[in-house]
Amino acid sequence: MLSRKPRPLAVVGRSDPAGPTAPADPGGSLPEQALAHVDELYGLARHLCATPSDAEDLVQETYARALGGVARLAAGSNLRAWLFRILRNCFIDQARRKKIVLEIADDTVADRPAHEVWDTAALDQLRYLAAADLERALATLSVELRFIVLLDAQGFHEAEIAEIARCAPGTVKSRLFRARARLRAALQEGQR
Amino acid sequence: MSEPKNDADLPGRSIAAGPAGPAGPSGPSAPSTMTAAADPLPGIAEADRLIAAALADHVRMPAPARLRDQLAHRHLAPRRPWRAWIPAFALGAATAAAVALLVVRPAAPADVALLDEIVGDHLRIVSAPRPLDVETNDMHNVKPWFTGKLDFVPPVNFRGDDDFTLRGGSLAVFQGHKAAAFVYQRRLHTITLLVHADAAARPRSEITRRGFHVITRASGGFGMDLVSDLGWDDLRQLEARLGSASGEKE
Repeated sequence: MLSRKPRPLAVVGRSDPAGPTAPADPGGSLPEQALAHVDELYGLARHLCATPSDAEDLVQETYARALGGVARLAAGSNLRAWLFRILRNCFIDQARRKKIVLEIADDTVADRPAHEVWDTAALDQLRYLAAADLERALATLSVELRFIVLLDAQGFHEAEIAEIARCAPGTVKSRLFRARARLRAALQEGQR
Repeated sequence: MSEPKNDADLPGRSIAAGPAGPAGPSGPSAPSTMTAAADPLPGIAEADRLIAAALADHVRMPAPARLRDQLAHRHLAPRRPWRAWIPAFALGAATAAAVALLVVRPAAPADVALLDEIVGDHLRIVSAPRPLDVETNDMHNVKPWFTGKLDFVPPVNFRGDDDFTLRGGSLAVFQGHKAAAFVYQRRLHTITLLVHADAAARPRSEITRRGFHVITRASGGFGMDLVSDLGWDDLRQLEARLGSASGEKE
């Protein structure tokens, strides 16, 4: 479950033990380097928000905080992870403002398929997975599981995800494990 | 595309893959396929790999051009050279001189009760444990937040800048009616801008009440009151920026 503990608005980046510290474009200014990640941030926001305009607002607010002087990037920090962490904070704040309950449990899908068999035919179906099926499977995940599995899909390492989601690396591992099992269950359910 | 992470030490997975993988789980970037042979349920590792690949493709989504343009305009806009501001400063100075001649300070002091209410609203905002109903420095989020909560649209378009950061907004009650409070920050000082509708016109006045500096004014049906412990010069600067932005589209 996403933490409800109030946190200060300012987000201070910390050194990342695992992630790269080099910016996307070492030659550009901070805004230029930050804006190079807009597609990744929008992609994540689009999967967290209900509508494209909500996703755009979330990205706008993320950059406003990151570049408007509200949040500070500590020297040597991982800029990309820092932006994603701000996006997460903004998302939680927006949900709080709109009084949206973030934890969405879908009890219609088991945490793990009852009889999980991935034979050649089933795997072939995964190779040609439709976006709508993937969306449906993602929708069965709680927001926090979805957030973590999407960060994983963005190529973040577990240590970086832990830094972004402010949890222990072990928690990331177990959440990823649960998220993958749940996705498999949802997709296998859809294949029937 | 994302490289699946090592989850070999998760429940149900064994890291004792042995000869199955070329090097075993060697770090965060070790592909999960290395653990496939160790999986007690055949095919799961491959299923995870295929799902991860599909997700990696799926999560990439180009940002709309409009969003890119807005962000670039807001955050990459080149600063105007200082020379470009000379005419504006000259005009501003002339206007200020004219206003100083016309406005007697304080010209028509607002009544004490009204001032106390303005200062009280400001104190409630700065001293409340959770001072703002909407905390963001993006006016695009602050103004829409008031929609449905007020029966008027506050004519405030100043989004903040390097000197005056917009911190957010809050609902206030002013003379028995709902009012909008916009909160700006200047260094360590908090500035509250109270906006209320159906205000009887009153001339601009600068008054100090209980040590707080207050600039009050009402025109066009809206009362706009600035209050802070900030110095007069800074408060006037903010007032000027609010005024210049009032003609701009949000």
